[in-house]
Amino acid sequence: MFDIESQKERSLMNKAIRDFFDSRDYLEVFTPTLSPDLIPEPTIQNFETRFINEFEGSLDMYLIPSPEVFMKRLLANGFPSLYQISSCFRNSEQLGLIHNPEFSMLEYYTLGFNEIDSIALTEELLRAVKRPQTPSYALPPFITMSVSEAVKAYSGVNLDDNQEYERLKESAEKLGLYVPNGESWDDTFNRIFINFVEPALPKDKPVVLTDYPYQIDCLAEKYQDKPYRHRWEMYINGTEVANCYKEETSKEVTKTYYEKEYEKLCLQRKESGLPIPKIDPAFYELNIPSSSGVAIGLDRLLMCITGKAEITPLLLFPLSDMIQNGL
Amino acid sequence: MIKAGQIDKGTALLIKGQPFVCIDREFVNPGKGSAFVRLKLKSPSTGQVLAETMKSQDNAEDITVEDKDLQYLYNDGTNFAFMNVESFDQIEVPMASFPDYEYFMKEGETYRATFWEDQVLDIIIPAKIVFTVAEAEEAVKGDTVQGATKYVTTETGLKVRVPIFIKQGEKIRVNTETKEYLERVNK
Repeated sequence: MFDIESQKERSLMNKAIRDFFDSRDYLEVFTPTLSPDLIPEPTIQNFETRFINEFEGSLDMYLIPSPEVFMKRLLANGFPSLYQISSCFRNSEQLGLIHNPEFSMLEYYTLGFNEIDSIALTEELLRAVKRPQTPSYALPPFITMSVSEAVKAYSGVNLDDNQEYERLKESAEKLGLYVPNGESWDDTFNRIFINFVEPALPKDKPVVLTDYPYQIDCLAEKYQDKPYRHRWEMYINGTEVANCYKEETSKEVTKTYYEKEYEKLCLQRKESGLPIPKIDPAFYELNIPSSSGVAIGLDRLLMCITGKAEITPLLLFPLSDMIQNGL
Repeated sequence: MIKAGQIDKGTALLIKGQPFVCIDREFVNPGKGSAFVRLKLKSPSTGQVLAETMKSQDNAEDITVEDKDLQYLYNDGTNFAFMNVESFDQIEVPMASFPDYEYFMKEGETYRATFWEDQVLDIIIPAKIVFTVAEAEEAVKGDTVQGATKYVTTETGLKVRVPIFIKQGEKIRVNTETKEYLERVNK
C-alpha cells in the first residue's frame, strides 16, 4: 500500500533541510553514489558492482555507504561548508523495522566547527524540521551525556578505570556477560553498551552521547588528555539517528587508520567471502581543513518527526516487500 | 555449534543445559562496531522468556529437533493431551508453556509439533483455522450501518469480531495470528 501522506511529509522535511542550510550559506553538493574506492570500515558491508568498458578498461565499483569519501575531497579542495542529501547503501543488515539496505542520508560539514558546535546546529535543525504532529521525544532540548557517564549510570562500569583490557573483561563478566578469549577492547565494550546502556537510554528527549572511547577506531579526532574521541551519536526514542565527528585532519593519523582498518577489513571479508572494496592512498594525502561532520539517517529522522515506530511504511518500495511480494 | 548471527525464529538452542526456542531476533549494529543480535528465547518447559544479546560471530549450541504430527484430544485445565498419529502414544504438554494456545486447539485436529528428545518444544498453529460459532449475539434490528460488527465466541472459547450477519452454528475462518475474522465458510 503506497502511503501518499508520508511522501508529502518526506518532501516537506527535505525542503526544510535545504532551506535551513541554504539560509546559513552551506553549499549543497551532488556527489556520485558509485565510487571506485571507499573509506575502510570493517563493520560496514558493501555492495559491489562492475563498470564494463572495452576501451578504457573495466573497473570494480562500490555503492557508497556514506558520501564522506567525496565530501572530504571537496573540503580539501577549498569548498565552503557543505551539505548533501544522498542515497547510501549498506549490505548484510537486517531488513525491516529500522533498516533498509538503500537509505537516505543527510551529511553536513561545517568548517571551523568542533563536535560540540554541531550539537547546537543539529538542535536548530530539528526545530526547523519539526511538524505539528512531532512527538516531544523528537524535539529539543537534547539530553547530552558522555559515553563514560552513560556506561557508569546504566552498567556501573567506570570506563576510566577499565582502560586495560583484562579489567574490562572482568567487569563485563561480573555483569554476567560471556566474553570469549582474544576479544578486542572495543568488542567487549560494545557487549556492555548493547546489553546495558543502549536499552536504558532516556526516551523522552533526543539523547546525545559524546566522547566515544578512542579504542573504537574512526576518523574522529582523539582527545590529547583523555582516552576518548571527539565523536557523538544521537538516539531518538532508542534509535540511533545521527553520528558526528570533529574530523581528523592529520595525514599521518589518517594513513595509520587506513592501513590498520583495511588490513582488518581484508581479513574479515576473506573469511566471509564478502566484497573487499578498494581504498585510495591519495585520500590520506588530502589537506582536510578543520571541520565537524554530521550524518543523519533521514528515513529514521522522518520516522521520529512523524511519530512512527518503523521506517518501512515511509518507504515506497522497501526491499523486504520487493523480496517477498515482487513489485 | 551455530553462529549467533544464523539463529532464526524457531531455532532450538541449549542454554546452560536447558532447551530454549528462539521466538524473536533483531540485529543491532552499534555505530562503528561489530554486528550483534538480540534474541528472545523461550523455555518450552517453564514458559520462561530469556533475553540474550550475542555478537553475531559468537558460538551457540544448537540442538537437533524433529517434527511430529500430533492429534489434539482434550485439555484438563493443566495439560494438553495429544496423540502421536504414528505411534498412537498419548502425550501431555503443560498448558502453562503455551499460553493462549487453548483457543486454537480443536478436538480431533492434527498439529505439527517440534520435539527435542521426548520434549515438545513448539506446537505450530496453522495460519488460518475454521471454527464453529458457539455463541453469537443477535444482530440488533435496524442496525444497518455498513461495516457494523459484533463479537462471537468459537467452540474453543476464542472471541472474534465478525460482521453482524454471522449466526450461531455457522463456520468462520480466522487468522490465528491477528485473531481476526477472514470469511464465512459455507461448507
